[in-house]
Amino acid sequence: MKISELNRHSVGVTNEDIIQAMKKISGYLDITPSDFMEVYQVAYTHAFERLTSSIKAQDIMTKKVIAIDEDTSPIDTVKLMARHNISGLPVLNKKNKVSGIISEKDFLKQMNTLKQPSFMNVILQCLESKGCIALDLKKLSARDIMSSPPITIEMNTPVLEVANLFESHNINRVPVLDKHLNLAGIIARSDLVQAFC
Amino acid sequence: MKFFSKMRGGGLSPPAVGFSEIIWSWLGAFLGISAVAFLNYNLFSDTDLIFIIGSFGASAVLIYGAVRSPLAQPRNLIGGHIISAIIGVIAFKLFNTHLWFASSLAVATAIAAMHATKTLHPPGGATALIAVIGSQKIHNLGFYYVFIPVGAGAVIMLIIALIVNNLCKTRKYPEFWL
Repeated sequence: MKISELNRHSVGVTNEDIIQAMKKISGYLDITPSDFMEVYQVAYTHAFERLTSSIKAQDIMTKKVIAIDEDTSPIDTVKLMARHNISGLPVLNKKNKVSGIISEKDFLKQMNTLKQPSFMNVILQCLESKGCIALDLKKLSARDIMSSPPITIEMNTPVLEVANLFESHNINRVPVLDKHLNLAGIIARSDLVQAFC
Repeated sequence: MKFFSKMRGGGLSPPAVGFSEIIWSWLGAFLGISAVAFLNYNLFSDTDLIFIIGSFGASAVLIYGAVRSPLAQPRNLIGGHIISAIIGVIAFKLFNTHLWFASSLAVATAIAAMHATKTLHPPGGATALIAVIGSQKIHNLGFYYVFIPVGAGAVIMLIIALIVNNLCKTRKYPEFWL
């Protein structure tokens, strides 16, 4: 469900609320509760869209992006992610353009042979074999693990669109590119939560 | 089946107004109708002039009883009555040989014209109809019907509404003029 639709359905005012409000307002209101509900819902959606389209990606993105290049080894990548406590980062090619994204999910994908990459599946594989299956990663580089091509957005992409992008592509972060397609920032799901609250 | 299921309603009925609202509505309507009725029965009783018509009773419901309603605003009160009066007189003049047609044409056209001019005022429908089905005295007025009783009466009732509704602490009138 798109964020905008979600909101339309959860406006949250009940008929009872409206009746109480109409009682409280002195004077005869020449409307039925359903008139009000209709006006309110349309107005709410309108306001929501106005607010969310006025906030752009550049307003909420993190500008100091931790990124790696394509030749970075898995050890260095994991170290970096662990040190900064992040679950994903963009990968840059030699021309300094974003060529992919590495997230926990990409590691899981590499580490297990099953179709559904999940943490529990990896543990299962670890328990069933005797060694650590992450050892196989040693010979790879970021280039081999990353998801590519990356999904990216522009600086002026409205936040609402970003939210819908997360939902439709089932991703947790998206790099923001400037006019010259260079990395300008990154938006994670947590940035969105802050923007909406 | 949607056609019939729509007739079930299903919405909620709005709450009743408080006691003070009832009192103020009564007072406003009493004074407003007094003004036009006194003119009609006492000051101009010996003339051919008429100052009160039935549709003023309906206007009183709106401008003293449903003050905030878009239908009760000055634009609607004055505009609705005058536009409908013109249409009613024209309908009668053109089709007085077929009164059923003149009646329906007057009311239907009045509603359409009020909608189109953003002056919808339900009593306007009555004002248009009265121009057709009214007494000989009304018919004799011709287009004067638009000014007296209709225009003058609407203005007098508006003045009373401006005074009474704004004396009440919880009321404000109008919401808008134009």
